[in-house]
Amino acid sequence: MINIENVSMRFNLGIEKNFSIKEAFIALFDKKRRQKRTDFWALSDVSFRVKKGEVIGLIGSNGAGKSTLLKVVSGVMKPTKGKVTVNGQISPMIELGAGFDAELTARENIYLNGAILGYSKEFIDSKFDEIVDFSELKDFLDVPVKNFSSGMVAKLAFSIATIVNPEILIVDEILSVGDIKFQEKSKNKMMEMIKGGTTVLYVSHSLESIKELCDRVVWIEHGKVVKIGPAKEIIEEYYKAQMGKELNAK
Amino acid sequence: MTTLKNIFANFKKYEFLMKQLILRDFKVKYKRSVLGVLWSLLYPILMMTVMAIVFSQMFRFKVEGINYLVYLMTGIIMWNYFSEASNSAMTSVVVNFSLINKVYIPKYIFPVAKCLFVGINFILTLIPWFVLIILTQFGLGNYPASINWYYLLIPYIFLCLIVFTIGMGLILSCVSVFLRDMFYIYGIILTIWNYFTPVFYSIEILPVYLQKLFQFNPLYQFINSVRSIVLYGTPPSIGTLVLLAVIAIGTLVIGSIIFKKNQDKFIYYI
Repeated sequence: MINIENVSMRFNLGIEKNFSIKEAFIALFDKKRRQKRTDFWALSDVSFRVKKGEVIGLIGSNGAGKSTLLKVVSGVMKPTKGKVTVNGQISPMIELGAGFDAELTARENIYLNGAILGYSKEFIDSKFDEIVDFSELKDFLDVPVKNFSSGMVAKLAFSIATIVNPEILIVDEILSVGDIKFQEKSKNKMMEMIKGGTTVLYVSHSLESIKELCDRVVWIEHGKVVKIGPAKEIIEEYYKAQMGKELNAK
Repeated sequence: MTTLKNIFANFKKYEFLMKQLILRDFKVKYKRSVLGVLWSLLYPILMMTVMAIVFSQMFRFKVEGINYLVYLMTGIIMWNYFSEASNSAMTSVVVNFSLINKVYIPKYIFPVAKCLFVGINFILTLIPWFVLIILTQFGLGNYPASINWYYLLIPYIFLCLIVFTIGMGLILSCVSVFLRDMFYIYGIILTIWNYFTPVFYSIEILPVYLQKLFQFNPLYQFINSVRSIVLYGTPPSIGTLVLLAVIAIGTLVIGSIIFKKNQDKFIYYI
């Protein structure tokens, strides 16, 4: 379903540094002062396959390259080296609410965000009530999103993103959305999708939820795959490496 | 052939998104204003009135033998379309970065949607423009404008102008990702370009060598073609009509190639 072959991703950290006409002009004459390229490999030589219906968890410390990997898989970034082949429709749930326009009302944003996620008009029309019901925001439909609380925005975004039954779902740390009730609801929704045969790539720092949801876990550190294996095993090892003690001994 | 087919399949796929983006611009633009969409009509009318008074009453500009008001307005609406559309297309990719960074969307959609959105506003300004032409038949200004069958060529000319602007928008939005200074540079370029396009003066007041040079200004070609129909009742030559299409399609192709070649690098620069 998803085939990741020797994927490497390079960022040039120098780009953000003070590039200016002056610097460039000096560099023309003075080779020593030419800015060195500071390459940063966010991913190096990552390979694994995901089978249909599998739920894969990605773990690793902050900045290990998990989100970059998700972006490469969802097509937002092209890998510097290597190849990613994806068979099937992807629904990315990377950072909810990115496609909202704060000035527009919830109703208008459902259409806008739906279009961004690649839904058709007919599809959104037919699922509109379902989205509204799930988001619990019926009374706020005609309120501009800028007046929403962050929890409300997240609820709405989650409801839009999960209304499809995508073949591949990419989730980046979003199950901690909304109030307790909505968290439970969104978790159930995820479970339902997983049971329905959706392939899932799931990034989270909550080892509990990874253990509960995932079949296999990919442990990434400094852009490299440390280990791939059954969820429980890898998580225990990861915990031990990070915290210096057994997972269950806490 | 297959690439062409792919391109059109891609358009079809993202047609709804394009519509939504244009709709969003429309809604956001008029949200919370009392008159709302009416401004799309009112604004050009008021602007036209001001410009007309300034140039024909205060500066006493005129062009011999034709209706100066129509001359001026034709230039202004076409120039304004180009400058507004190309300018907002330029910023569109940078402004929408938070989206580009999170979901896969073909990036060309942003500049193209901007050009089309401003294009809708442009079409609305044609209503007061045409009303003005009709009013000249009843004695507004010294000479009446011409109304003739060649008007059927005007949509073609406008289409060429819009395609040309989309091409420019693609180039500008691409360049401005790598060089933010472009936002300011282009503002100055537009001002210079504005004065080098005979919008409110006639090209005949210039020295001959400058008149020749102006032939290379694409906007002069677009504006002049419409003027010759509306004011003189003569259609642009076949050569000119072909030239307009060549300018439009040429710019679009160059813009698309530049954009396509660089779009994968955008993400590192924003």
